[in-house]
Amino acid sequence: MSIATLNIPLHVKYIQNLGKSDDELMYHLTAHLRLNAVYWGLAALCVMGHKEALDRGEMIDFVMSCWDDEAGGFGAHPDHDAHLLSTCSAIQILVMQDALDRLDIPRVVNFIASLQQPSGVFAGDSFGEIDTRFLYCAVNSLSLLGQLDKMDVGKAVEYIRHCRNFDGGFGSRIGAESHAAQVFVCVGSLAILDRLDVCDADTLSWWLSERQMDSGGLNGRPQKLEDVCYSFWVLSALSILNKLEYIDSDKLISFILSAQDPEGGGIADRPGDMVDVFHTCFGTAGLSLVGYPGLEDLDPVYCMPAKLIEKMGLRKGWKALERRSG
Amino acid sequence: MNTEQKQEKLLFAERPEWSDVDPIPQYETSTPIAPILYTPQYKDATDYFRAIVKSGERSERVLQLTEELIRLNPAHYTAWQYRYETLLALSSSLQTELELMNELAIKYLKTYQVWHHRRLLITLLRTPQPELQFIETCLRVDSKNYHTWSYRQWLLSHFVDDDDLWRGELEFIENVIGDDVRNNSAWHHRYFVVFGCGVRSGSEDRARIVRRELIFTKQNISLAPNNPSAWNYLRGILDYNRLPYSLCTRFVKPYTLPLDPNTVDIVDLENPPPSRGAELPCVYAIEFLADIHEKAGDKDNILKGVDLWKSLANEHDTIRKKYWEHRIREALQSAT
Repeated sequence: MSIATLNIPLHVKYIQNLGKSDDELMYHLTAHLRLNAVYWGLAALCVMGHKEALDRGEMIDFVMSCWDDEAGGFGAHPDHDAHLLSTCSAIQILVMQDALDRLDIPRVVNFIASLQQPSGVFAGDSFGEIDTRFLYCAVNSLSLLGQLDKMDVGKAVEYIRHCRNFDGGFGSRIGAESHAAQVFVCVGSLAILDRLDVCDADTLSWWLSERQMDSGGLNGRPQKLEDVCYSFWVLSALSILNKLEYIDSDKLISFILSAQDPEGGGIADRPGDMVDVFHTCFGTAGLSLVGYPGLEDLDPVYCMPAKLIEKMGLRKGWKALERRSG
Repeated sequence: MNTEQKQEKLLFAERPEWSDVDPIPQYETSTPIAPILYTPQYKDATDYFRAIVKSGERSERVLQLTEELIRLNPAHYTAWQYRYETLLALSSSLQTELELMNELAIKYLKTYQVWHHRRLLITLLRTPQPELQFIETCLRVDSKNYHTWSYRQWLLSHFVDDDDLWRGELEFIENVIGDDVRNNSAWHHRYFVVFGCGVRSGSEDRARIVRRELIFTKQNISLAPNNPSAWNYLRGILDYNRLPYSLCTRFVKPYTLPLDPNTVDIVDLENPPPSRGAELPCVYAIEFLADIHEKAGDKDNILKGVDLWKSLANEHDTIRKKYWEHRIREALQSAT
């Protein structure tokens, strides 16, 4: 069953009801993502113009309850160790909720900067796993806090350069396969650091255009299945490269819309599958970038409201498609 | 069920050997954003975990606890971290730990922590050889698993001077591609092995290597033309070695045309034709030929490229119509 429009009120309700999950075990198994999930929910609400649907005070309290005072960062859940992924989400949420005054900025900056490795990439935490996703989290967070000078920008850029593959794409670490999500974090980081020259823009934008399948959906690497979340990873990278018009946006829009749950709300990875807040966030984000009517503008570099990022003086030279009239 | 297994089924609160520990319940305040929902088993395990983290205990029973916690929730990154530090503190057998990980890795193939933990163990153990077989086993379950491939690349990079480790890699990747010619991860790995890790002894004759790779790739394209991974690899070989795409003009042309019923089966290593039953024309071949024309630069060639792009935009690859129209516009602008 295909749905012609984005059912905003239903998706808002879906996000509001997330905490009332009946599936206790699922709730547990996703505790390591909880703070990220709150960010995904909030970002989706902002795109849909319903930021107020979740209580601001409660959200800020939850964020602060994830503060790991020993490390000086945020964990994914109370009692979880600080990690860059959750720290980034925490900072994004606090910025979106205008609550940066709650943050011990010097301490968190110290936590973030301390995770940079000699090679320029970042570890996620003291466990030591490295990934270009963590590099993006560091660059994103530090730039939101106006503290990019606390990291070695040159080394980070060089690390990204070494992650560039023969197909123009980027992987999770040096030598790893090109993958759209990793392309986003590398291109996003380069955009923030004003080093998009590291991209081979022609080859990369071709590779990104090749992600679109006949169904209209986008995949993450050649010969894999299309998935709604790639709507964001691929589109944001193209938007940053000013090549968003390469995509067949009509077909992409109908693909994303067909992945909605018409009864309970939310968006899934592809039509017919179970919905989750991750795909709801990135589905609506993708729709916003291609100009779907009735949505707020999104900054593809930060995946946060465009107006807010612009007000902070952080807007880069990306281009989204013009918003259609509804 | 033996006694040990029976013990594992008990909550930690019920186990006599844990009676000296006071469990610490989770952060109390429940908010609608993150209400407290738990199964008794998970609550119990995490309550005891919090207690030993607070007391800083490093012991065998901590290994038992973290193992159970990881089995309940393999993404609990704090548990992994604490387990690793405990192993080091106890000077436990990392080899035994590795064997345990062999079981968990298959179960939790898509969990980052399982793979990172393994990297840490192998970094200390310095026994990379058996890992190759282990990785192959994982790939049989999920042949495109990003973590698994990335781990193999890490292993080969970390032990880059281990010639024994590298010896069978070309054969390995040839087999994986043979199993599924459409596996993009495999083609990427081949590039990593052949071009991405410096020149290995025995591979100093780069011209021979390039010839070998071109033949290999073309043969695979001949078997299954509509395979973007192989075409991307072909471009990769030429780009890396700064060779013109026009070297492949004769090879590419038959793939840009509809199937010729009069095709004779010929064996031509340099220019293997499309195999019988191939779906032609092949979009990637048309793209490739258009690029050859564009790179030639003169007006005639550019117009030939434009024709090919038009066929893609209007007929063969309409989902990318806007992209091909952009290529046409750009090329025509440069031609004037």
